[in-house]
Amino acid sequence: MDFNVINEYIPLYKNALLLTLKIGWQGILVSLFIGLIGSAILYFRIKILKTFIGIYIEIFRNTPLLVQLFFIYFALPKIGIVLSAEVCGTLGLGLLGGAYMIETIRSGLESIPVIQRESAASLGLNEMQSLWHVILPQAISVSVPGLLANVIFLLKETSVFSTISLMDLMFTAKDLIGMYAKTIEALFLLVVFYLIMLLPISILGTILERRMRYGQFGD
Amino acid sequence: MKRKFLRRVVSGLLVLSVVAAAFTGCGSASASENSSKDSDSASYRTLDEIKESGTINIGVFSDKSPFGYVDENGDYAGYDVYLAEQIGKDLGVKINYVSTEAANRIEYLQTGKVDIILANFTVTEERAQEVDFANPYMNVALGVVSPENAVVTSLDDLKDDDEVIVISGTTAETYLTKNYPNIKLQKYDAYAEAKTAFENGNGVAWANDNTEVIAFANENPGYKVGIASLGEQDTIAPAVTKGNETLLKWLNEELETLGSQQFFHKDYEETLLDTYGADYEETLVVEGTK
Amino acid sequence: MDSLGIDVLFKGTNFVRLLQGLWISVEISMISVAFSIVLGTVVGMFMTVRNRIVKIVLKTYLEIVRIMPQMVLLFIVYFGTTRVFQWDISAEAAAIFVFVFWGTAEMGDLVRGSIKSIPKIQFESAYALGMNKFQTYYYIIFPQTIRRLIPLSINLITRMIKTTSLVMMIGIVEVLKIAQQIVEANRNSSPNAAFGVFAVVFLLYFIVCWPISRFSVYLEKRWA
Repeated sequence: MDFNVINEYIPLYKNALLLTLKIGWQGILVSLFIGLIGSAILYFRIKILKTFIGIYIEIFRNTPLLVQLFFIYFALPKIGIVLSAEVCGTLGLGLLGGAYMIETIRSGLESIPVIQRESAASLGLNEMQSLWHVILPQAISVSVPGLLANVIFLLKETSVFSTISLMDLMFTAKDLIGMYAKTIEALFLLVVFYLIMLLPISILGTILERRMRYGQFGD
Repeated sequence: MKRKFLRRVVSGLLVLSVVAAAFTGCGSASASENSSKDSDSASYRTLDEIKESGTINIGVFSDKSPFGYVDENGDYAGYDVYLAEQIGKDLGVKINYVSTEAANRIEYLQTGKVDIILANFTVTEERAQEVDFANPYMNVALGVVSPENAVVTSLDDLKDDDEVIVISGTTAETYLTKNYPNIKLQKYDAYAEAKTAFENGNGVAWANDNTEVIAFANENPGYKVGIASLGEQDTIAPAVTKGNETLLKWLNEELETLGSQQFFHKDYEETLLDTYGADYEETLVVEGTK
Repeated sequence: MDSLGIDVLFKGTNFVRLLQGLWISVEISMISVAFSIVLGTVVGMFMTVRNRIVKIVLKTYLEIVRIMPQMVLLFIVYFGTTRVFQWDISAEAAAIFVFVFWGTAEMGDLVRGSIKSIPKIQFESAYALGMNKFQTYYYIIFPQTIRRLIPLSINLITRMIKTTSLVMMIGIVEVLKIAQQIVEANRNSSPNAAFGVFAVVFLLYFIVCWPISRFSVYLEKRWA
C-alpha cells in the first residue's frame, strides 16, 4: 500500500464524507418527519389517509432505492419534473426511510399500554395532548434502538448515490479507481471512512438498547 | 454497565484492527505481486490458453451507441463490436461479451476478468502504464456538446455554478480535472445515465470523446457541438493486460492484416455511416497500423 | 413528447430481456438465501456459546455486516480479492458470496434470538431425559424456533432481491442494466423511453417483492 497515494486521497474522501453526511441527515430528517406524521395517522386510524399511508409503505419497502432514484432522477424529468441531484438524493432517502420510520415509531406507540391513554384521558387530556405529552415520549424512547438502526441503514444506502452523480464515499472510491487504478488504497480508505461514519452510531445504538431495557415502565 | 461498554469499545476496535490488518496484508501482498508480475501469469490468459478454452472474454460498452451497445434483440453491436466479432472469427473461438463501464476498464484487465478491452479505450500515457495497448483503430479528441439555445463554445466562458457532465473514468474527466480544476464536474457511472441526465438538463454541457458528442448532436435535434476538438489528438486501441505478450502480438498482426484489407472503412460504413455520414470517414478511421 | 416510451418495450425481444434480467436477480437471491439459512443456523448456534473468543469473533463479524454497505463488500470481493489473492471469481459468484456473508449474519442473529427465547428449563429437561446436544436441538429446540424463523427468512428474500439491484455495478447485466441498454438503443426513435422503461422496472420489482413480503407477514401473524 502506498501511503503517499493515501495522503493524496484523504481530502477527497473527507469531502465525500461531508456530502454523504449532509444528504444523509437531510434525508433522515425528512424520513423522521414522514415517520411521525404517518405513524400518528396509523395510530389514530384516520380513514382514507390510513389506506394512503399503507400503500406508500408497501411501495417504498418493496422496491430498491436504486430503482427509486432512477425513477425520480431520470424518468420524472421526461414528464417535466426536473430535480437537482441533491434534492433527488434527499427526497429518495427520505421517502425510503419514511416507510421504515413509520413502522418503527408505530410499533413504539403500540407498545405503550392502553391504560396510559385511558389514564391520560381521565386526567382531562385530549387525544392530541395525550399523544404528545404521554405516549410519544415513551414510545420514542422505546423506538430509539430501532430508529438508530434505520439511521445506519439509510446512511449505508447512500452508497448508491453514484447513479445520480453525487460524489459520496462509494463514488469517490469508484472514480479514483477508474482514473488512477490504485484499487487497494481506494478501497482501504473507503472501508476506513465508512467505519468512521457508522461505528460510533452503531456503538451508541447498542448502549442505548441496553439502557432502554431499564427505562420502561410497568415491566 | 461500564464493563459492558468497555467490551463494546474493545470489540469495535477489534473490527478496525482486523480490517486494517486484512488491508495492510493486502498492501504488502500486492507490492510483492507487482514486483513479480512478469513471472506471474495468473492475472491474464495467454493466446494458447484462450484458444484452448474456446472462448474469449471481451469487454465492451453495452450503452454507448454507435460504438458498443445492445440492440433490441439483445445482440451486441457497434463499431467496437464489429471488430470484436472479426477477432473472434479469426481466433476461432466463441466470444463472451462483458459489459463494462468506463471506470472499470483498467480494473477488468488487471484482474483478468476480460482478455481484451474493446470499449472505445483512448490511449493515454497514464493508462499505458497500467495496461498494454495494441495498434490503434480510430482517431479521437475531446469534444463538448451543449443545447442549441445555450451553446458552450469555450470552457473559459462557463459560469461558476455551471456544471459539466462527464463520465467517470474517461479521458474527458482526467483532462478537465487536470486542466480546468475550477470547472464543476457532474460525474456519472454509465453512458446511458450521463446522456439521459444531459437530455434532462442537469448540466450545461457534456464533455466526452468528440466522436461521441458529434454522434449525439447528429442524432438528437436541439444540440450542438460547440467545441469540436479539445486537448490532444489521441487514438483508440484495443488493450490487453500488461505483460500479455502473446495476445498483444497476435492482436497487432490481426489489426495490420485487417488494415491492409481496409476492414475499418468497411466497419465505419456498416456501423457509423448512419450517424456521421461520409464526412468523418477519413478523419476517424485508422487502418490498424502504428 | 407524445409517447412516454412504453412502446419501446414491445420492440424486438426487449420485454423478454427485462424479464430475464429480473430472473437473474431472483436467482441470485434464492441461492443466497438458501445458503444463508443453512450457514445462519450454524452461526446462530455458535452465537449462544459462552466462549469469549467465539463471541468476540462473531460480534466483529456482525458489526462488519451491520456497518459496511453491501456495495462496498461487493467491490472488495469482486475487485479486491483478485488483486490480492489472484482469485478469478465471476461477478455472479462474488455477488452470491457477499449476499451469503450478509444473510448468514442476519439469519444467525435471528436464530440466536429465537434460541434464547426458549426457556432454559427445556434444555435441562432434554438433558435430564438423556438426550445429547444434537438431539436436544433437533427434536426440542428447532421445531419451536422454526415457525418464527420461516417468515423472517422469507422476508430476507425480498431484501436480497432488492439489493440485487446493486450487482449492476460489478458488471452483472440484470434488469436495471438491461433497462439502460434499452433506453440507450432507442434514444433517437423514442427520446422519452427513460420514463416508460424505468417505470416498468420499478413496477417489476414491486410485483416480485410485494407478494413475498405479504406472504411473510401472513405467516408471521398465523404462526405467532
